[in-house]
Amino acid sequence: MKFVDEFRNAQLGQALAGEILAVLEPGRHYKLMEVCGGHTHSIYKYGIDDLLPANVELVHGPGCPVCVIPMGRVDDGIAVARHEGVIFTCFGDMVRVPGSEYTLLDAKAQGADVRMVYSPLDALRIARENPDREVVFFAIGFETTAPSTALTLKRAKAEQIANFSCICNHVTIVPPLRALLESPDLRLDGFIGPGHVCTVVGARPFEFIPRQYGRPLVISGFEPLDVLQSIHLILRQLAEGRCEVENQYTRVVPREGNLRALEVMSEVFELRAHFEWRGLGFISQSALRLSDAYRQFDAEERFEVPGVRVADPKACQCGEVLKGVIKPWECKVFGTACTPEHAIGTCMVSPEGACAAYYNFGRFARERQAV
Amino acid sequence: MTEFESACERDDAHCITCGDEGTAVRVLDAGEETVRCVDQDGVVHAIAVDLVGSVRPGDRLLAHAGVALTRLEGV
Repeated sequence: MKFVDEFRNAQLGQALAGEILAVLEPGRHYKLMEVCGGHTHSIYKYGIDDLLPANVELVHGPGCPVCVIPMGRVDDGIAVARHEGVIFTCFGDMVRVPGSEYTLLDAKAQGADVRMVYSPLDALRIARENPDREVVFFAIGFETTAPSTALTLKRAKAEQIANFSCICNHVTIVPPLRALLESPDLRLDGFIGPGHVCTVVGARPFEFIPRQYGRPLVISGFEPLDVLQSIHLILRQLAEGRCEVENQYTRVVPREGNLRALEVMSEVFELRAHFEWRGLGFISQSALRLSDAYRQFDAEERFEVPGVRVADPKACQCGEVLKGVIKPWECKVFGTACTPEHAIGTCMVSPEGACAAYYNFGRFARERQAV
Repeated sequence: MTEFESACERDDAHCITCGDEGTAVRVLDAGEETVRCVDQDGVVHAIAVDLVGSVRPGDRLLAHAGVALTRLEGV
């Protein structure tokens, strides 16, 4: 398959692993964070960490949109889904995320009309087809997904579709990265940057990382050779004493991003003063809500929601996994009480979550080593 | 496979929508709003192209959650 097979070539991968070895400083330990859950998935699926020397450690970042949704927001969604006459729509992974008592899938089993959609535009189509029902879309995701919600709301407004609304949980990637860089728990040497977020926002929002914190960031694609090459580029910057934002994913990411998408987003959304991130706590100006011009589509104003903050289960260490403080297998309940089939924490729900990715692909290599 | 896995988790249980990941598609129809596009697995999708401008058959796009985010120049 053109432009896929080339980036999964095993020989090229081994050659890149050799080049990585060549730029390492003997005796130094390198800690690199892959920001995006898509990268975490690729790293475990293709065994990229097995190709790296022991002194290059990959730390999984907060870039899985499902994993950072706090339980209270799930409870809010379930409360809306249970309203008489509501058709509640959301992406696939979201239905399995645990709230304080139930998941949206449980709510569906109990009678709520919960439907999975692939796009918010599908939710809008359902609203057009059901003018006598209220259709609510539970919006999650970073800047990759926010444009699709924004475009959907623009169309809803233009078509005057009054029975459509949205619970907006969109978040932005820069504030949690800044919070992580300020965290005393974690010392990182560089970042594998989120390739598809950058198709929208471009490279500029990440320039503060080398400028203020002296860490390189390489915008990376998602195929195994993309990730390996990005690791090599970060390590080469460190070896050469450089520190900048570099774009490995030039075949997809324009340096300035998508200006039209940014324009639509700024029309439809505004920054929330504060938003709670699972495991990271409240981070100011890190999430989006609907602007005044689109407030009529805000489901949180249309329906009564509990809006209660719910503490994570005591056994769950998702917060420490999301901050890269512990590895998935170091969590007390990993693979025992918490599995993809019966997830306690969100990192085990989404395939992009570090725990699920490691459970599905990575744990066997580790078990072999133990034997 | 459950109803919830069928449409979303197409790549080895990997949800590209929830994962904030894009997928490369080739345009089948000319248009300025919503057009048919085919992905690498041969699946045809309706993709909104408002954010990338008018498209022609054969153009290649990166799409996410039913919306094209950028053109894949030279790919």
